[in-house]
Amino acid sequence: MKQEGEHKSEISRYEFSGIEERHGIIPKWLMAVYAVMFLWMVYYLIGFWTDHG
Amino acid sequence: MSDPVTAITRNDEFVDRDIVLKFMSAAAFWLVFAPSIGVILAAKFNFYDFLGNVPWLTWGRLRPVHIMGVVFGAFSTAIIGLTYYIVPKLCGVRMYKENWSRSILWLWNIFLAVGIVSLMMGYNSGIEAGEFPLWVSIPVEIALAMVTIQVIGTIKQRKEPRIYVSLWYLSAAYVWTVFNYAFGHFILPYSMPGVNNAAMHGLYIHYVVGLWITPAGLAVIYYFLPLAAKRPLYSHKLSLIGFWSLAFFYPFVGTHHYIYSPIPYWTQTIAIVASMMLIIPVWTVIQNFYGTFVTNWRRFQESYTAKFLVIGALYYFFGCFQGSTEALREVQRLTHFTDFVIGHSHLTVFGTFILWVTAGMYYVVPRLSGNELYSKSLAQWHYWLTVTGFSVMAGVLTIQGLMQGTMLQVGADFVDSMVAMKPYWFTRTLAGLTMDIGALLGMWNLYKTIHAGTAIAVPAGSSPVAVPEPMWT
Repeated sequence: MKQEGEHKSEISRYEFSGIEERHGIIPKWLMAVYAVMFLWMVYYLIGFWTDHG
Repeated sequence: MSDPVTAITRNDEFVDRDIVLKFMSAAAFWLVFAPSIGVILAAKFNFYDFLGNVPWLTWGRLRPVHIMGVVFGAFSTAIIGLTYYIVPKLCGVRMYKENWSRSILWLWNIFLAVGIVSLMMGYNSGIEAGEFPLWVSIPVEIALAMVTIQVIGTIKQRKEPRIYVSLWYLSAAYVWTVFNYAFGHFILPYSMPGVNNAAMHGLYIHYVVGLWITPAGLAVIYYFLPLAAKRPLYSHKLSLIGFWSLAFFYPFVGTHHYIYSPIPYWTQTIAIVASMMLIIPVWTVIQNFYGTFVTNWRRFQESYTAKFLVIGALYYFFGCFQGSTEALREVQRLTHFTDFVIGHSHLTVFGTFILWVTAGMYYVVPRLSGNELYSKSLAQWHYWLTVTGFSVMAGVLTIQGLMQGTMLQVGADFVDSMVAMKPYWFTRTLAGLTMDIGALLGMWNLYKTIHAGTAIAVPAGSSPVAVPEPMWT
């Protein structure tokens, strides 16, 4: 039965350890974090490559 | 010990139970010893001449004992023991070259002890976190290389078709560290004088944290969290992103210890950017952990493994965010040379990784000894003394660091900034003592579980797949 907070996704089982894992998703809020961090990285590298004084 | 059927039904027949339990016992010793040295050091801030007349116990000799004791004694001994549990179970075969494990146990622990005594005698290679003299670092490197060969060999011979994320992290951690340990102990002390040595040391010390402690610790939580939560791991995709972003960004982080130093400005900028970009792997794994756990919070009440993993993940989030932002020039200007930095290192190394390996010990020891946890009450004291003591300590160090930095920025006299720290240092000492009492109770509990625990009951006629799990783990 699907528990509250769980997403639909294929589940794989590791036979010997008994661990299961979902193929999984990347939540939208996390994708937004990736995008913001990438843009900030470009901005900071260009802006602060050398000491402006 | 309980009936062997208990172990066999959990696929523990792949595990060398005796060697794992011996490593756990050794780790329990280091987990009490090394933080206790930290309490003595903390006390020296309050009582300036405390033990100052005994050369072996002076600040300059005990600090490396604390650092090396926590990193290579407490954390790494537990990790090697947990490796001998995790790797065979994920591969479905016994450890490659399993007969090496006993030699590694003695080689590792005897030479760690020799290293600690050497440091107290004043033999120190002078590289922070790479301080063991040659007669210790050579055998330790050999032991690390032997475990690395065992791990890679076992993965190569595995029967499990897929490689779980814990194996990626563990194999990477061992391979990176075999090289990094050699770099810090055999190259840095003897070459590259001056500022170049400082820059390379920044890389070494952060590789210890980021390419050993972090991936090995993440291997532990990725393995035990789904088992403790009794839920599938939230996302394989997030595991991939977390692993590769850590592997990509962490190698550039080290020079952030030398912001505003003579090291070229652009290298400092790269280190700052890489430090901030670590927000990606950290938030990714946090989402993966809490996404796994959130559907079964009941386990937080039932399992000490779960309790230590979850609280460690919380400290991981705060500690790593602190570490990333601390690299920014404006924040660095305020916090460098203050106790803020000490707060950050304790949040990550103790608050996160020591607590995660402790969780692993709570999971493994009852199962492999075949005994129930010796005392729920002692486990409860361990948990709450650790959480209370550590939260106070991390909070106090962070606040006093910000105060100290602010005082110095507005031009206060350095001595006045030290005097203002006195009540904070005293609180930090008491908090550290609280944590250590907790650790002592916890490790005593695990020791008694092995040697005097009640055997896990196997109901008559139970099927092999229905063997009960030990309680409270």
